[in-house]
Amino acid sequence: MGHFDMGKPNYSGLALIGVGTILTSTIVAGFLLGYGVDKWLDSLPVFMLLFGALGAVGGFLKVHKLLSRGI
Amino acid sequence: MSANEQSSGMGTVEYIQHHLTNLCAGDCDPITHKGVGFWAWHLDTLFFSIALGTLIIVVSWRLGKNLSTDTPSGFQNFVESIVEFVGGQVKDTFPGHNPLIAPLALTIFIWVWLMNFMDLIPVDLLPVIAGFVGIHYLKAVPTTDLSTTFAMSLTVFVLIVYYNIKIKGVTGYLKMFLFHPFGKFFIPVNIVMALIEELAKPLSLGLRLFGNLFAGELVFLLIALIGGTMATGLAALFWLPLQVVLDLGWLIFHLLIITLQAFIFMVLTIVYLGMAHVDEH
Repeated sequence: MGHFDMGKPNYSGLALIGVGTILTSTIVAGFLLGYGVDKWLDSLPVFMLLFGALGAVGGFLKVHKLLSRGI
Repeated sequence: MSANEQSSGMGTVEYIQHHLTNLCAGDCDPITHKGVGFWAWHLDTLFFSIALGTLIIVVSWRLGKNLSTDTPSGFQNFVESIVEFVGGQVKDTFPGHNPLIAPLALTIFIWVWLMNFMDLIPVDLLPVIAGFVGIHYLKAVPTTDLSTTFAMSLTVFVLIVYYNIKIKGVTGYLKMFLFHPFGKFFIPVNIVMALIEELAKPLSLGLRLFGNLFAGELVFLLIALIGGTMATGLAALFWLPLQVVLDLGWLIFHLLIITLQAFIFMVLTIVYLGMAHVDEH
């Protein structure tokens, strides 16, 4: 949050441009990362589902954080 | 011109598929012409993106040689307004000082805008011209190709990682992955979630640009099909004017979209790189 203390007014406003796709992209990123780990450990689809769910939670948290107090 | 395609025996589905297929070389499927391996080269994407990049360089070089402080030309004024606009965005949003950011943002904005602008050229024009010289597949808009959008977003991602490590140090950067968002008792979960969050940045940058432009191109193709499929006999008196009106309407709206998408890509690049320059915690 240091940049707000430095008096950068538009920072959070412009970051909100990306909010719409953050939710979807974190879920996709979660699935992709999980898929990679599953391929590595030969455990499909355990980590894909787990990381996908974590991605959804992370997306919600990130959007909530962005909308309530900036980055 | 889609009517010509129709008369040559191409159905609506084939017409759309044909216009959405890149000119592929290397690891390509001989039937579908889609890339099947890593070394599949989309020659049309490469050609148009490099040609537009060269255009930017040549025009900037020529303008740079003829700069005038007393009586600036109209074009010089126009370019100055763009440079000032981008410079203003960087000044407002970017914390600290880095001489790379403003030129990078300007390049991204103009290059992405020009590549998006190829979408406004009539959908059949360039493929038909290419057909005359024996090129059977041509997708003229580089940003409707995932290879382009991900090449750009991954380049930005590499810069994000580079500046994170440069500003915060390797340990500082790795610490970001350990303690957020759930505190020190859930470090494994935190690592995964932070990784996902980092990966989501290039994914959202690339997919947003691709999705918007691909959908825009598809709508242009569907509008072109109105004339191609239904404008026969007297019905043409109704369908052809409708196609012209719809095309014009979507073109004007799309002009807004391509500018907005170029702007969003630029701004998010500045914001992400700005975050890499700030110690958040």
